[in-house]
Amino acid sequence: MKQIKKIMASVAVLVAWSLATPSVQAANYLIKNATLHTATAKGTLKQADLLVENGKIIRVGQQLAAPTDVEIIDASNKHITPGLINAYTSLGLVEIGAVAATNDSATSVEGFGASFNIAPAINFRSTLIPQNRINGLTRAIVMPRVGTSLFAGEASAITLESTMGGLISGNVAQLAMYGDAGAGKAGGSRAAAFQMLDKALTESAYLKKNESRYLPGFNWNFSQSLDDLKALFKVVRGKSPLIVRANRGDDILRLIALAKKHRVKLVIAGGAEAWTVAAELAAAKIPVIIDPIMNLPQFEALSVRLDGAARLYQAGVKLLFTGGGSHNAYLLRQSAGNAVAYGLPADAAIEAMTINTAEVFSIKNYGQLKAGMDADLVIWDTDPLEISATPDQVFIRGDRQPMVSRATRLSDRYWDNNDRISAPQE
Amino acid sequence: MNPKLLISVVALFALLGCEEKAKPKIEVERPQPVYQSTYKPLPSDEFVIVNATVLDGLGEQFDGASVWVKEGKIKAVGATLEVTESVTRVDGKGKWVTPGIIDVHSHLGVYPSPSHEGNADGNEMTAPVTAQVWAEHAVWTADPGFDLARAGGVTSLQILPGSGNLIGGRGVTLKNVPSISMQGMKFPNAPHALKMACGENPKRVYGDKGQAPMTRMGNVAGYRAAWIKAKAYMEKWDDYYQAAEAGEKKDKPKRDLNLETLSEVLRGNILVHNHCYRAEEMAIMIDIAKEFNYKISTFHHAIEAYKIAPTLASNDICAAMWADWWGFKHEAFDSVRENVAIVDKAKGCAIVHSDSAIGIQHLNQESAKAMAAGNKRGLQLEPKDAIRWITSNPAKSIGIDQQTGSLTANKNADIVIWDHNPFSVYAKAEKVFIDGALVFDRLNPERNNVSDFDLGITDPAGERL
Repeated sequence: MKQIKKIMASVAVLVAWSLATPSVQAANYLIKNATLHTATAKGTLKQADLLVENGKIIRVGQQLAAPTDVEIIDASNKHITPGLINAYTSLGLVEIGAVAATNDSATSVEGFGASFNIAPAINFRSTLIPQNRINGLTRAIVMPRVGTSLFAGEASAITLESTMGGLISGNVAQLAMYGDAGAGKAGGSRAAAFQMLDKALTESAYLKKNESRYLPGFNWNFSQSLDDLKALFKVVRGKSPLIVRANRGDDILRLIALAKKHRVKLVIAGGAEAWTVAAELAAAKIPVIIDPIMNLPQFEALSVRLDGAARLYQAGVKLLFTGGGSHNAYLLRQSAGNAVAYGLPADAAIEAMTINTAEVFSIKNYGQLKAGMDADLVIWDTDPLEISATPDQVFIRGDRQPMVSRATRLSDRYWDNNDRISAPQE
Repeated sequence: MNPKLLISVVALFALLGCEEKAKPKIEVERPQPVYQSTYKPLPSDEFVIVNATVLDGLGEQFDGASVWVKEGKIKAVGATLEVTESVTRVDGKGKWVTPGIIDVHSHLGVYPSPSHEGNADGNEMTAPVTAQVWAEHAVWTADPGFDLARAGGVTSLQILPGSGNLIGGRGVTLKNVPSISMQGMKFPNAPHALKMACGENPKRVYGDKGQAPMTRMGNVAGYRAAWIKAKAYMEKWDDYYQAAEAGEKKDKPKRDLNLETLSEVLRGNILVHNHCYRAEEMAIMIDIAKEFNYKISTFHHAIEAYKIAPTLASNDICAAMWADWWGFKHEAFDSVRENVAIVDKAKGCAIVHSDSAIGIQHLNQESAKAMAAGNKRGLQLEPKDAIRWITSNPAKSIGIDQQTGSLTANKNADIVIWDHNPFSVYAKAEKVFIDGALVFDRLNPERNNVSDFDLGITDPAGERL
C-alpha cells in the first residue's frame, strides 16, 4: 500500500511537471543570490541573479529587479553553471553496450565512410538521456564510431530533450581516425593511414573544383566513393571541423602539418600526449577534446598525465572535455574536477564543459551565462566541480526538467522497502 | 596444512586414544603452502601524526587527533594521546588521516597497462571451470598501475581472475609495495579468493563456442557439477588422512589442482568472490552455497544489491559495487546511484570497488559519489561512514581485517595522509605508509618508486609521477 501511495505520488509529481512546463512556452524566472559560473570573461560571480524569460537569459547581474509575473527562485548557497556539454559521446546511438540491436553507432558496410551520418538513428527516448540530464548534462556531441573506412562520418549536436526537437544539427563535424585506430583501418600502418587521409582530402578538394565533370554511378578511380568525397567538401573548405582521433605526440604533429597543407580546421580527440606538443597546437589554434582523468600509459600514450589538461591550457590550447562514456556522459564533471585538482583553473574547466565545445561545433546561443543565451541552466547544491555536487534543478532552453529517470524510479521503489524479493530459505 | 582439518583429526585421534589402544599412525605427506609470501616490511621509524582529522575506518572520526606508529603497527589513536617527547612528530594540521585504501576487485598485473593481447592474462577461457589457475602466477609486477594506485592511497588489493568462466581460478591479495617478485608483494597469511561468475559472461563465452554453458540454466548446472566433484574429492582425501591417523594404509588419491582449490573452499580456507549482477541470480547463488555448504564472502559488481540488501545482510555477504557504472550489458541496466547507500542502510557490508586501473586511483572519489547519492535522498552519511566502504569492509571481505583496514591498536600501520577531506575531488594522498614505512610521498617525488617499465619511457630522463 505504501508502495502504491508512493507511485501515485510520483505520478502526481510527473503530471504536475507536465502541466507546469508546456513544451512550447517556458516559464519566466528570476534566480537570486547564486554563485554563477558564467563561462565568460567575467568568470565566477558571487551573490548574483539571473533573469530568464521565454527560454532565454535576459540579464545577469547583482540585485536584479524582479519584473512582474516571474517566479522567484532563491538560490542562496547554490551554484549555477550553463547546462554541461560532453564533446564526445554516443548518446542516443547505444542503449546497452552488449546488445548489438541497440547499437547504431557504426556500419560495417564497405566503402561507407565520410558520408555516414548517424542523425536518423539518434533515439531521443533513450534511457541514457534523462539519466544524464538529471545529472547536469543538457547538450552533447554525438559521434559515429568508425566502420570500415578511416573516416567514421558526420557528428551531430543534440540537446538532452526526449523529443526529436533535441537535434540541433545533424552535421557539426567529420570524424576520422589516426594513431593505433587509424593504422588498424589502413592495413596496420600509420604511414598508410596518413597517405589515405592526405589523398582523400586532396581528392575532395579536386572534386569540389571539378564537380560537374564527375557523374555518380561511374567508377572515377578515386580512393573514396563520390558520396564520401562530397561529404568532405565542408571540411576542405574549412567550414566544418575535422575531428581526428590521435594520442601520440608525434602523430599529432603530423596531423598539424596535414591540416596546414589542406587548410582544414583540425580538432584532436583523445590527445593523451597532446601536452607534449602543446606549443605547436596553440600556435596552430587547434583545440583538443580530452578526458583528463584517463592517465593509463599505452604504447601510443606513454607520456599521458593527470596534469596534461592543465599543461595544454597553460600553453593556450582550447580544451573540450569528455568523460564517463555515454551512459555516464555527465561524469565529464569528475574528469574536469580532477583536471582542476591537477592545476587547471576552475573557470577554464567550466569553459571546457560549456562554451568551448559550443564554439568549436558552432552551437549558437548556448554555453554561457549571459544575456541572449538559451537558458540551459543547472542549479548545483555545491561547487559544481566537486565530486559530491548534484543538481537541484536542470533547465533546458528555460524549461524546468523533471528530475526523474528510470534509475530514480528504481531507487524510489526499493528505498524504503528493499526486500521485495524474499530471502532464500534459511 | 589446513588448520580445521588438523584440529578435527587431532580431536578424533584424541578421542580414539581414550577409548582403546590405537594403532601407530602412519606418516603421510601433507600439502604444504606454495608460492609463499616473502614480503618483509620496509624499514620504518617510530612517529606520531598530530593535530589531524582522523577517520578510523570503523565509523569514528577524531578531530585534532594523533596516530602513533611504532614498529610498523598502530600503537594508539585518539585526540588525547600522551606520546613520548622523543617520538618524531608529523604535523597533521589541515590534513586527514585514514587507513590505507583497499581494493577488493583489481586486475592490476593480470590486465596491466599498456593493455594488449600479450599482456591479457586474467581469463583462462579454455574451460568453464578452471579453479586450477591462480591469478598470482600471472601478475606482472612492473605494471605502472601499481605505482598509480599507490599515489591514490591504495595499500592492499585483491587481484582476481576475470569473469569469463563459471569458476575462473584463485585470486591473491597483495600489499602495494614495489617488488620484482609477486611473492614479495603477497599479503602474508591472507586467504586465497575463488573467483566465480554469474550471468552473461560465461554463457556468452562458451555458448558462442557451442559449448555448455549456453544459458543461465547451464551456468547453475556447471557450478553444481563442480561442487559435487569437489565434495567427493575432499572426502577422498579426508578418508586418506584419517585412515593414516588411525594407522590404516590406504592408496593415496590422485591430486587434481582444480578440485584441490574447490575442496579448500568447502573446507573454508578459500573465500568465494562471486561476480553477480542481478538480484535473482544472487539469490540462486546463495542457495547453491547452502546446498554445498560453502560461504560466499562477497558479490562483486552487485548492480542489483539494493533489491535484496536485507537478504545480503542476513546472510553476512558483502556487496562490492561501483558508484555509478551501468548499461554496458543488460544485466547492468538496473543500476542506481544509491546502491551502496542502500546496502549500507540495511546494515550490510557495503564495499566500493574499482575493477579498473583508473578507478583504483580514485576510490575515495567513487565513495564520495556513493555517499552524495545517499545523502541526496536524505541519509546523513559522513566521511567516517563512507571510508568504511574502501577500508574495513573490503578488509573483512578479503579476510585481512585482523591485520589491516582500520586505525586501531596493533593493526598494521597502513595509513594515508590526505591534503584535504578525502571525499573532495581536490584531495590527494600526500603520504602513504605500508606497515609504517613511507612508500609514497607526493612532496618528495624523487624518492617514489618508478616501475621498471616506466623507467625512462616518457622520455629518457623523465618520470611519470
